[in-house]
Parts: sequence; structure tokens; C-alpha cells
Amino acid sequence: MTFRQFALNNVLRNKRLYVAYFLSSMFAVMVFFTFSIFAFHPAFQTGDMPSSAMKGMLVSGGIIYVFSFFFVLYSMSSFLQSRKKEFGLLMLLGMSSRQIRRMTFLENMLIGFLATISGIGIGLVFAKVILLIAEKVLVIDETLNFYFPLEAIGLSFISFILLFFVISIFVTFILRTNKLVDLIKSDKKSKGEPKASIILTIIAVLLLAAGYGTALYVEGIQVVMALIPVVIVVTIGTYLFFTQLSVYLIRRLKKNEHIFWKKTNMLLFSDLSFRMKDNARTFFLVAIISTVAFSAIGTLFGFHSYLMKGLKDANPYSVVYESVEDEDVQKQISAIDQIIADENVTANKEVVEMNYFEIGIDYPVLIVKESDYNRFAKLLNEKEIKLKNKAVVVSDNQANIGNFQNEQKLMEIGIPLKSGEKVQAYSEVSTSVLQEMNAYYIVRDEVFKQLPSAVKQTTFAAWMTKQADEEQLVAIGEKVFDHFDEYHNAFSMDYTIYEIDKAYGPILFIGLFIGIVFFVSAGSFLYFRLYSDLDDDKEKFQAIAKLGLTNNELKKVINRQTAILFFAPIIVALIHGAVALTALMHLFDYNLVKESAMVLGGFALIQIAYFFIVRYFYTKQIQQAIK
Amino acid sequence: MLQVNDLNKVYEGKVAYRALTDINMEVGKGEFVGIMGPSGSGKTTLLNLVATIDQPTSGEILIEGKDPHQLSKNKLAKFRRQQLGFVFQDFNLLHTLTVEENIVLPLTLDGKKVKEMKEKANVIAEKLGISHIMKKRTFEISGGQAQRVAVARAMIHQPKLLLADEPTGNLDSKSSRDVMEMLENINETEETTMLLVTHDAQAASYCDRVIFIRDGQLYSEIHRGESQKGFFQKIIDTLSLLGGNDNDFSSIRS
Ligand SMILES: Nc1ncnc2c1ncn2[C@@H]1O[C@H](COP(=O)(O)OP(=O)(O)OP(=O)(O)O)[C@@H](O)[C@H]1O
Ligand SMILES: [Mg+2]
Repeated sequence: MTFRQFALNNVLRNKRLYVAYFLSSMFAVMVFFTFSIFAFHPAFQTGDMPSSAMKGMLVSGGIIYVFSFFFVLYSMSSFLQSRKKEFGLLMLLGMSSRQIRRMTFLENMLIGFLATISGIGIGLVFAKVILLIAEKVLVIDETLNFYFPLEAIGLSFISFILLFFVISIFVTFILRTNKLVDLIKSDKKSKGEPKASIILTIIAVLLLAAGYGTALYVEGIQVVMALIPVVIVVTIGTYLFFTQLSVYLIRRLKKNEHIFWKKTNMLLFSDLSFRMKDNARTFFLVAIISTVAFSAIGTLFGFHSYLMKGLKDANPYSVVYESVEDEDVQKQISAIDQIIADENVTANKEVVEMNYFEIGIDYPVLIVKESDYNRFAKLLNEKEIKLKNKAVVVSDNQANIGNFQNEQKLMEIGIPLKSGEKVQAYSEVSTSVLQEMNAYYIVRDEVFKQLPSAVKQTTFAAWMTKQADEEQLVAIGEKVFDHFDEYHNAFSMDYTIYEIDKAYGPILFIGLFIGIVFFVSAGSFLYFRLYSDLDDDKEKFQAIAKLGLTNNELKKVINRQTAILFFAPIIVALIHGAVALTALMHLFDYNLVKESAMVLGGFALIQIAYFFIVRYFYTKQIQQAIK
Repeated sequence: MLQVNDLNKVYEGKVAYRALTDINMEVGKGEFVGIMGPSGSGKTTLLNLVATIDQPTSGEILIEGKDPHQLSKNKLAKFRRQQLGFVFQDFNLLHTLTVEENIVLPLTLDGKKVKEMKEKANVIAEKLGISHIMKKRTFEISGGQAQRVAVARAMIHQPKLLLADEPTGNLDSKSSRDVMEMLENINETEETTMLLVTHDAQAASYCDRVIFIRDGQLYSEIHRGESQKGFFQKIIDTLSLLGGNDNDFSSIRS
């Protein structure tokens, strides 16, 4: 048997041990490959993609690659960890450490090669599914048809073979330093508890408090400036939190025999403390990665809703038109009528002369007749206005947020009539019936007649379609957009929203994709952590089962053990995420509570489901082992 | 106390292996019984069946007239940790726990008071000479110390039936005598019934009676008379009849 055969056989015979490592490597390849399928997709290559989105793609690809590197490295190191004793025995039997390094190198390359090939294979299938979903969920113009991604395959293959090569070399260096006696006892010896010091614990608390405090305190553009320092501070704080505070807490627990010696606690906590170092690192990684996922998705989702929110409310009409100077108003209006009719859509329409008057403030103020206003209100099915007195001041409730001084002025100034008298407005109303940027007056029809001559006149027309579907509305909007390509003085909100969605779609998609990848990766970190201890756990529970352990006690221990693993980092990540999204709210000065709650709640639910699934299988495995 | 009727055990597997054939035996309350036989003769198998850790292929085992194999899983678990005590051939200690924690583990599961557990652990550790290693972890103690820890864990809850698989396998003759004397002592003062597997004729001579097994079958049985010395000689004689050069067998087997 040549040495190469030995290495090969070692992999094939120890299947179970290798499967977990293989799967997570394959997972990393699959993610990267799927992503590059999109990056190289013809639909994204046409050039209409905003260059920022292209850059985003590039950066995201880089992030995924770097992330894969650490992911594989991490998987590999826990894989090697669980094989240390085997190495020790091999060395004891006379294998030189050079041979062992060569063996792990060959093994790793073999696994890496297989993982790359199968990752690409499964990625093809996965991509097909994602493409289908993307097509459904996102507005992307060219249909995202499936194509044979030669470039993506090439890139992924080369990148990952390189990655496994580098990691394999890297790992042989790590192995160099191990002493035989340490290797042989490695499964019994704790990897050591991280040193917990009071000072570091306090620093952990301070850092987190400072990070949170800053993130919650800053507003507007400061949020952007504070971003990097806060991220650094919170990251360090989180690391210390898990390595220091958790150690401290468990130490306290272990010292207190009244708790530690109670029922199954001893089994639970002794293991926690035995694996503290590994756990602390995993918790830290998972918490940070999940935070990135939550924040990325929360930000995109929130930003999207920020863009969209109010657009439709502020522009409730299907199509609006406002004349510009020297325009054949009648012709333009009938052009729009025609466009609507061409799409086989019927619509109600109202047209009004908009008269602007000089009343002694810095802009000409619109004054409309009660009856005109009510025609439009009726078109929108809005409440009509019944003036109790001669006039009111109106502010458009969407267009001019924060422009209350103007309203205030109008309330004070009053409307000068031809006669020289003044009519005072008696109340303020807020609607978006007329699409007017500034505050304006509504007056009784008879008051309107007594006004002096207007300084500016335009025509405003609005259409409300009856029973038109989204597609027709977008088509109408597009034609209107093309027709008024000079001044863009007519438009349809449905089309605008469609256009925004279209530009935003790929970005949203990439963000979602990365977020989901990170979150799933966090999940597999946890899975890997749990399963690298499976053999230990089996042995442990077998031993205790011989002394007598009821099924309930077994379940209780496993339940708590798994719950701590799954929820400790996620709860921290959820808190981090909530703080990050609150900071985002302050940046936009826009309420994202609903969106944040949806994103964070969604992730929490997924994690809970994941916990139940993993717990079920883990319990089953252990139960089988002890029969 | 313990009655074994027509017990058979076949290990299924690629090649089925008959480890025990038609074993019949009876052990009275408070009796101290030794089991001897060559390596691979089925001693551990028999002990595991009595300990309800493994299922017999046929036949029955009655402990105080009841067959524990009929109990539900949970009841069986409780029964085991409250009524039985084991010393396993491979110690079966948990390496994530300290010596002391290993010893009190069966008691913690039953929710005993911490003070009570500590007292018991201290008393027994004192007797076995392991008080000074109570705070150590299992990889920091020697094989013989681990064996004594396993003995301590098996006895801390004063079981009715103590099953010991080579409890003196790793001990020098002085420590071995100490452990055996302690077992004898417990056997006498607490009326604990004991079943002891051993390769060591010296240790076996502390028993009231020794049963010999060969190839999964009962071979013979000898009783202790008045003198331990004479009994020891009888055991040596039977062992040489039995065929295995069995005396120098106590090596490490974990
Ligand atoms: N789980 C098992 N599956 C199959 N065969 C087994 C199993 N356990 C033990 N055996 C076989 O049954 C026979 C009896 O084993 P047992 O462990 O009872 O021997 P023993 O008398 O305790 O030996 P020793 O003195 O070496 O401990 C042996 O031949 C062994 O190979
Ligand atoms: Mg045996």
C-alpha cells in the first residue's frame, strides 16, 4: 500500500468523521458559485445596471470569498481537533510528523477537490431554484433565465482549489507544533478555559454600553460617521462578552455546589465549561455574522420601504398632468386620454385651472374654489370639504413635510380681495387631493369671484383608472413618460415605483442573498460545533446511561445544551441588530419599527425552527447510541 | 436475592457469537460471590446482563424475585442507579468532571442534599485513600486511582447489589488488599450482596464462594471454608484445572 493509498483509504473508511467537514466545505463552494452565477448572468451584464450595483456585486463576491476562507478554515480546524487522538496514535505507532502532515495535506486536497466539484454541481441546481424565486419576487427586466455558467464554473473552481491548497498548507503548519502526549490526551483534556479577569469583564460591559449608547444617541449624518468606530467597539465588546462574561458566569456556577450538584446540572455545566473555549469562539463568530445578516437585510428592507412609503399616498392618482407655459393643453390632455384608451382602460378625469395670486409672501399662492377642490376629492373618493366660513389653509400632507411656517404665514396674512378687504382663513386642513408643493387656500366659490387677477395660471388634470391591473398601469405610465419626454410634466406613480423597483431589484437581491448566506452559515457553524462534540457526548451519555439515566433526564440535558448553543449568540445578535436598525432609523429620521420587527422576528422564528430540528436529530442520535 | 435461570446470550453481528450458555445460579442476600474464568469466557457479559445494561437472548434474571428487564426504561434507569452499584472494567468515569463530582454523580441525579453528598463522598474517599485527589480531573490521576474512584462511585449510594468487574485489576497487592477488605467490610456491615469478577486469586479469596466460567458455561464452584489461606489454595488449584494461565492477567484494558 503506497502512502497515497493509505491517505485515500483513511478518508473513505472514516466517512462519518469526514462527512461534516466535507459538507460544510461544499456548502461554502455552493454559496460562492451560486453567487457568481448571478454576477456573470447576462441579465446583469447588459450595461443598464447602475455601476454602483455592479460594484456592490464585486464587493459582495469578495466578502463571500473571504468569508468562505474563514469558514473552511474553521471547519477544518474543528475537524482536525476531533482527530488529534488518531494522529497521536499514528505517531505513537511510528509515523513521522512529516508523514502525518503529508497525509492531512493529501486528505484535505482530496476533500477540497470533491467539495468543489459537488458544490458546483449542487450549486447549479440551487441556482436554478434561486433564479426562479428571484424572478418571482424581484422586478428584474430581462427574465433571469437559466444559462450554462461557464465563467462562473471556471472562477469558482479555480478560486476554491486555490483556497483549499492554501488552507491545506496552512494546516500542516499548525500540526507542526503538537506534542505527542498532548495529542493522545487531547480528547480528555479541556482545551483550557479562557482566562477570565474582572478587568476584562468590566471592559466588555463598558465597551458594549459605549457602543450601544453612541449608536442610539447619534442622529442624522452623525450615524454614518459613528458607524465604523461603533462596529469596532461592539465587536470587541462582544468577543469579550463571550470569552469573559460567560467564563465568569460558569465559573461562579460551578463553584456553587448547591446549583452545580443539582440534578442534571452537573452534566450540563461541566460540558459547557469543558468546551468553553470552543463555544466562546463559536458564539462570537455566530453573533457577529448573524448581526451582519440582520443588519444587511434590515437596512435594505427598511431603505426600500423608506423609498416607497408615501410615494403612493402622496400620489394617489393614476396619471397626473400639469401644464407648462406655451403648451397646447387640450392636445396634451387628449394625448393622455388616448394612451389610456389604447391600453383598453377606462378612467375618470378631472381638469382644473390653477390660479396663483400675489398675497405678499415670497411665492405666488394657489387659491382654489371649493367646488373645484371637491371635484377632485370625489375623483379620489376622499372626503369633500364643506367650508364653514370663507376660506381655509391647506397643506399637502405628503409633499411638504416640515413646511409649517408657510401655513402659519397663510393663516396670519389672509387673502386680499379686489375690494381691498381681507378674508381670513379659519382653519388648517391637510390633504393630498391637489398635487401642490406649497401651502394654499381653498375659498368659497363666491369669494373666488372677488379675487384680483391671477399672476400665474396652469392647468392640472388627473385620471383615476377603473379596474386596471398593475401591468396596464405600468404600460400607461411608460407611454406617458415617453410622450412627455421634454418637461416630464405628466407622470404615473405606478410606473415610477416600477422603475425604482427595477433599479433597486438587483441590489435588494444581492443584499438578501448575502444576508441569507451569512445567516445560514451562522447556522452551520452552530451545527458544526454541536456535531464535533457528538462522539464525546455519545461516550458520556453511554457512561451515564450505564449508571442509570432516565430518558427525560437525557432529553433535559440535551435540550438545555442545544438551547444555550443556539440562542445565546442569536439573542446577542438580535440585540445588536435592533440597535443597528434603531441607528438607521435615526439616520433617515424615519420609523422602521415595523420593518425591523419583521426582519428580526423572522430570523428569530427561523432560528427557533432550526433549533427544534437539530435538537430532534441530535437527541435521536444520542438515544440510538445508548439504546 | 439474585436468581439466574437458563440464561443465554448470543451477540448478533456478522458472525453471531454465543457468549453464555444455559447459566443457572443463585446468590443469597448478603452473599459475596466471585466469578472467575479465562479471558473472553463471558464474565463481563454475565455481569452486564445482571446489571440490566444488556438484554439476555433467553432465560431470566430475578433480583429479589422480580425481573428488572421487565421494567419500563425510566423505572429501570432509576432502579439501576438506586439499587445497583457497578465498578466497570474500563472505569467509565466522565472526563469532564473532577474525581469528587464523578463520585457524587449518581446522587446528584436523585436530587440529594449537597451536604449529605459531600459527607458520603468524604467518608468513602477516606476509606479508599483518594481524599487528596478529589479535586483532580480524571486525566490527572493514575489507573489505580481511577479504579478506586470507580469503586467509590459504585458504593456511595449503598446499593443492595454491587457488581464489580475486576475492581483490583490495576492495583498493587497492598491497595488491592485494601479495596478487598473494604468490600468485605461493607458486605458484612451493610449486608450488601456482591458479585465480583476477578482474575486475581488473592482478591477472590475474600469471597464466600467462587464460581468458575469457561467458554460461556458454568464450570465449577467452590466455597470458602474456615481459612482464607486454604480457600486461596483451592482457587489456584481450580484455575490450573481450568486451563488458562490466568493469574497474570490483570493488565490495562481500556
Ligand atoms: N458486544 C459484543 N459483540 C460481540 N461479541 C462480544 C461483545 N462483547 C463481548 N463479545 C464476545 O463475547 C465473549 C465474552 O466476552 P466478555 O467481555 O464477557 O469476556 P470476559 O470474560 O469479561 O473477558 P475478560 O476477562 O478479558 O474481560 C468474548 O469472546 C467477546 O469477544
Ligand atoms: Mg471482562
